[in-house]
Amino acid sequence: MKTSMVWLLPALALFMVSCQPKGAKSDTIKIGSFGSLSGDQAVWGQADIQGQKLTVEQINQAGGILGKKLELITYDDKGDQLEAVNAVKRLINEDKVVAVVGCNSSGRNIAVAPVVEASKIPVISTFATNPRVTVPEPGKLMQYTFRACFIDPYAGDVLAQFAFNTLKAKKAALLYEISSDYSVGMRDFFKQSWQKMGGTITADEAFKTGDVDFRPQLTKIKESKPDVIIMPILYKEVALSAKQARDLGIKATMLGGDGWPSSALLEMAGDAVEGSYFVNHGDVDAPNVQDWRKSYKDKYQKDIEINSILGHDAMMMLKSAIERAGKADPQAIRDALETTKNLQVFTGVINVDPATHNPLGKAASIITIKDKKFVFVKQFEPAK
Amino acid sequence: MIWQQVINGISIGGVYALIAVGYSLVYSVLNFSNFAHGEVLMVGAYMGFYALSALHLPFFIAVGLAVVVGGLMAVALEKVGYRPLRLRHAPTLYFMISAMGLSIFLQNFTIVTIGPNFRTYPDIFPTHPIMFGALAVGYLDLVIFVITAISLGLMTWFICGTRLGSAIQAAAYNMRVAGLMGINPELVVSIVFFLAGASAGVGGVMFGMKYTVYPWMGNLTIKAFIAAVVGGLGSLPGAVVGAFVLGITETFAAAFVSSAFRDLFSFALMILIIVIRPGGLMGVVATEKA
Repeated sequence: MKTSMVWLLPALALFMVSCQPKGAKSDTIKIGSFGSLSGDQAVWGQADIQGQKLTVEQINQAGGILGKKLELITYDDKGDQLEAVNAVKRLINEDKVVAVVGCNSSGRNIAVAPVVEASKIPVISTFATNPRVTVPEPGKLMQYTFRACFIDPYAGDVLAQFAFNTLKAKKAALLYEISSDYSVGMRDFFKQSWQKMGGTITADEAFKTGDVDFRPQLTKIKESKPDVIIMPILYKEVALSAKQARDLGIKATMLGGDGWPSSALLEMAGDAVEGSYFVNHGDVDAPNVQDWRKSYKDKYQKDIEINSILGHDAMMMLKSAIERAGKADPQAIRDALETTKNLQVFTGVINVDPATHNPLGKAASIITIKDKKFVFVKQFEPAK
Repeated sequence: MIWQQVINGISIGGVYALIAVGYSLVYSVLNFSNFAHGEVLMVGAYMGFYALSALHLPFFIAVGLAVVVGGLMAVALEKVGYRPLRLRHAPTLYFMISAMGLSIFLQNFTIVTIGPNFRTYPDIFPTHPIMFGALAVGYLDLVIFVITAISLGLMTWFICGTRLGSAIQAAAYNMRVAGLMGINPELVVSIVFFLAGASAGVGGVMFGMKYTVYPWMGNLTIKAFIAAVVGGLGSLPGAVVGAFVLGITETFAAAFVSSAFRDLFSFALMILIIVIRPGGLMGVVATEKA
């Protein structure tokens, strides 16, 4: 009896070692990722996650982080909020990841935020631009949610500085959608910075979602003789209002935000938007992205999207946080993310604001429309 | 600026007029409005779009196709959605429910088959405006105005100057008595729906050229219905007058009060008219409709 017990001991020890949770003392750092790999937003989700995968591969080739390789676990959320919540729960509870990257939509990140909050696992969104993703209501901060992109209202500030300092415009007219948070937010921030710099607002005109005729508003705008017309609206309304503005003989330069880039805009608006500018989070034609773009093309046999670039940038934010934390511990990573300073990524320099978790003063890409094509102009660093 | 806004108002009113006439015409004979009228407009707009962009047909043939397709479509909707109810003397509410069903079906059918994308008519007319001093008049707006005038003129001639038109007038006055006098009521109903659908077909092409084409564009015809109510449901001249009154009111509200309040003014105008003059501006009370 006694002898058989002694025999069992080493076997038991061996068994216990093999039963230890995978990854706890392994040499990889597990990172989760989710996005719309299928569904009608699949183009964006795939570009996003392929960008992340390539970045992880490159980090691993360069020796990994803290001497450990990264292991990226990816789930498809089908562009659905419920699926996104399930994906993140699975990443946290079953795969035991230390951090999550994703996703490419505000709606899904808003749904996921309470989950990561409860599990105390940090998430870095790639392309959730709505302010409520990190600050659901004034004074309340989602402690574990971060993002690599700037927020919608910030684009208004960038527009104002670009129009004033680069285009040397002094008089601006606004056309915005009163029933859209996105549009109103951008317009408010534009107005604020514009007036602070000493620019004048000649007309401030609104329309309602679904409107197709903007002539009354545009006639007022024309009468006010602006240098630029600020249109923080979506491509369909951009196309219609730009055409109607040209019909009325308005020649002022038109400017807008990330609601503009869509091939449908060029198709619908034709010549009407030639020479217009809009701000975007980055651009596939930005010079600093070209080497990476080549690697991406080699790996996936297709071109990058702006989402791929933000996928890369979110992953680099995480890399920097783990390095500064000195360990792959969710709480330490969260604290390090909050103090991200002067981190150079493709779309600019990231300084995380501890009060809102939004990148502060990040560069924006200025794009113009020339010969019915989107043409990258430059990266624009707004003054503080 | 006031004159430019008047021109804007007339240009919006012109499109409303074509659609409002359809609402009024059906109401004059059947005492209910075809709330799936907007979807007939949508089908007409797609017809015109494909005739021009895919088949590369000349403009007037494309308009003609949209007219015929719009007219046949409206007749078909009547046969499927309203005739069974009419024969059973169903309450008016059932007609509205049936119309809603038809609308939702047609919108979704278009989304599934053609897709939800916005489509743009090729440029048929010059896009630059014609300038009268500081006043800009869109070339397209002039074309739309002329086509609207021709369509309304033809319709007036048909109703006032032909035997079939007389039959419609008689049916509008009293369907049952007209039937006793040897007028085929089914034929009159079909003709009325065809005329309404044809005008929606033209309206759809105008609308598509001026703005854009998409599956739920029919929702915008609610404004034309308001115009018909303002002018007096059942009265064709009323629908036209109501359309221009509404177009100019909207434009002025947007220009001189606030563009955000534009629709508030449209609906307030409708309520005001209903309260003060329930028959509408030109609604002659049940004596001589149409």
